[in-house]
Amino acid sequence: MKIFKSIKWRLQLWYGLILVVVLAGFGLTAYQLERNRQFRQVDDELHRRIGVLGNALHHPPPRRQDENEQPFDRPPPGQFPDAGPPLQRNRPLPEFNLPSWDAHFFDTNDPHGYYYVVFGTEGGGEIARSANYPNHEITSYSSDFFASVNRFSQFPTPATKPPRMFNFDNYRETADVLPSGETIWVGCSVLPELKELHRTALNLTAIGGLILLIGLAGGWWFVGRALQPISEISSTAVKISAGDLSQRINVAEAESELGQLAAVLNSTFARLEAAFAQQQQFTSDAAHELRTPVSVMLTQAQAALNRERTAPEYRETVEACQRAAQRMRRLIESLLALARLDAGQEALKRLRFDFSKTISDCAELVKPIAEERGVKIFTTLEPVEITGDSERLAQVVTNLLTNAVYYNQPGGEVRVRLESQGGMAIFTVSDTGAGIPAEDLSRVFERFYRADKSRSTGGNGLGLAISKAVVGAHGGTIEVSSAENVGTVFTVRLPAV
Amino acid sequence: MRILIVEDEPDLLRSIAQALREGGYAVDTAPDGEDGFYKAENYDYDAIVLDVMLPKMDGWEILKRLRKIKKTPVLMLTARDQTRDRVKGLDTGADDYVVKPFDLPELFARLRALIRRSANKTTNVIEIGQIKIDTALRNVSLQEKPVELTAREYALVEFLALHRGEVVTRTQLYEHLFDENESSLSNLLDVHVSNVRKKLGAEFIVTRRGHGYCIE
Repeated sequence: MKIFKSIKWRLQLWYGLILVVVLAGFGLTAYQLERNRQFRQVDDELHRRIGVLGNALHHPPPRRQDENEQPFDRPPPGQFPDAGPPLQRNRPLPEFNLPSWDAHFFDTNDPHGYYYVVFGTEGGGEIARSANYPNHEITSYSSDFFASVNRFSQFPTPATKPPRMFNFDNYRETADVLPSGETIWVGCSVLPELKELHRTALNLTAIGGLILLIGLAGGWWFVGRALQPISEISSTAVKISAGDLSQRINVAEAESELGQLAAVLNSTFARLEAAFAQQQQFTSDAAHELRTPVSVMLTQAQAALNRERTAPEYRETVEACQRAAQRMRRLIESLLALARLDAGQEALKRLRFDFSKTISDCAELVKPIAEERGVKIFTTLEPVEITGDSERLAQVVTNLLTNAVYYNQPGGEVRVRLESQGGMAIFTVSDTGAGIPAEDLSRVFERFYRADKSRSTGGNGLGLAISKAVVGAHGGTIEVSSAENVGTVFTVRLPAV
Repeated sequence: MRILIVEDEPDLLRSIAQALREGGYAVDTAPDGEDGFYKAENYDYDAIVLDVMLPKMDGWEILKRLRKIKKTPVLMLTARDQTRDRVKGLDTGADDYVVKPFDLPELFARLRALIRRSANKTTNVIEIGQIKIDTALRNVSLQEKPVELTAREYALVEFLALHRGEVVTRTQLYEHLFDENESSLSNLLDVHVSNVRKKLGAEFIVTRRGHGYCIE
């Protein structure tokens, strides 16, 4: 079932279960306490009546013979057993006379309907019983039963131990054995209490149910709220996996555990997006760079084929196609070099060589181009031995030197310097060109990035990116600093031997 | 028809210009943005082919500035084929878009369509009485029989036909039929007009003395 795998549902289930247990515990305790209270009241009433009956048995009130005797002072005839014929027993039954002022204790109009029955000494028969005495089987009061009745050392001192209570159907009774041997039973109907308890139980159930409902609803809301960030995270993740990398999780509570998770995920997404964008940009730039030479070849060929041409015209077309093809070849070589450096597949030679020799060779190569543009190259080279791939590093040097020549002004200078400093070979190329604007400076090592937006210099925008990758593969660094209209300085640091 | 091409790749510029000239168009070229904008501003071209990546001033900038003063149809040439670039081009006011590398026939077809649209014509064929001008095939027929015209004569007929009912001045004709490199003699136009009249009938092109020419 999917529903039981949902954290929300499982939390809700456990929460509901605990709530039910707690509420049931409280409800049952409350019910029990209420029941005890009600019955203790009944019991107190019953005990009071035992006292009254005990007194009536041993201290009969003086019979008042005067005419003013009120009818209610005497129990109605037949109401009390003393009105009937005395029972024959081994010893005479004591006189029982319930005074009229005590009769109200056994008022038949009382909803409890208190009743009593008094027996003589064990097996001595019944002395008295109230009219409303329910017809319990006499066997109920068997000798075993009597044995279980508390015996008090002294009457009517209150019981040190609560007297035993008996329940028959809807009746509750208690008994007491007097020191003189008589047993007094007092009972009453507990129907009102039972009704009351029933009502209490209903109330408690209703209140409990209501609390449970409110609790569950509150819990549902609370759990939902607590899990809200998770659903936000997942919906964002779904959008991102669908390809929209610009999506971010809305972090409302940055301090909470989920907020921190969301922040971590957001930064991951941002890095992913940047990496994707970079990759996309690279691919699109590479395609762009390839498109122009392809366009040249295509249009040249199509224009030439439109009609018959003369030999010089064909030659011109073929030359243009060749230029375009050369440009593509250079670009493809650069892209391949970068891809290999990226993948770490390029097996760099690890040979020891004098870097100053490499630099002076490169400077010789660049000199003709420099002279063409009226740029002078000055070299100050200190012999420094380094380990690495001299061919690759020569490419870096040539690239930096040609850049310094191309972006120079006529009559400008290029200063090339190599020195050893703190175990590093430090190679600097400074020019006297227009410089690179500050906003472009941090991006010159990016692939296909050109500070000069046109393609007038004929480069493909990969030279510095490749240089950086090569120097990096040698465990070195390359940096640039520039001042507008003063010049640009590139510094390469490589570990010396 | 006179067309301006602004493109910084010299080999590409030369081949497009050459092919267009052979097709009978008058072609001006500009190797960078500044030169391109100057020419676009100062001549009434029938269409401009504009590269996006240009030194000095890029294609977007030229387009933006040009749209403030002129409605010359512009066809953008770009090496980027991402949708957002096309949208940007079209939103800035470009009339069409061609992605490098392109086929020359396609580029020319799009140029013809641009010129036709700017003259409010929806089909390739313009019919004037017995004369049919097919601007796609660039030929003219009289009573269903093809008439041989030189490229320049065809351009003259097409230009007048696209501006049918209007009086076209000699200056306008010079501007649209000859490019900046041609030091055309002033009677060269009269020669073309008389040749066309010989081939398509004397009353086809009407001369308005002191004003210019007109096809009614």
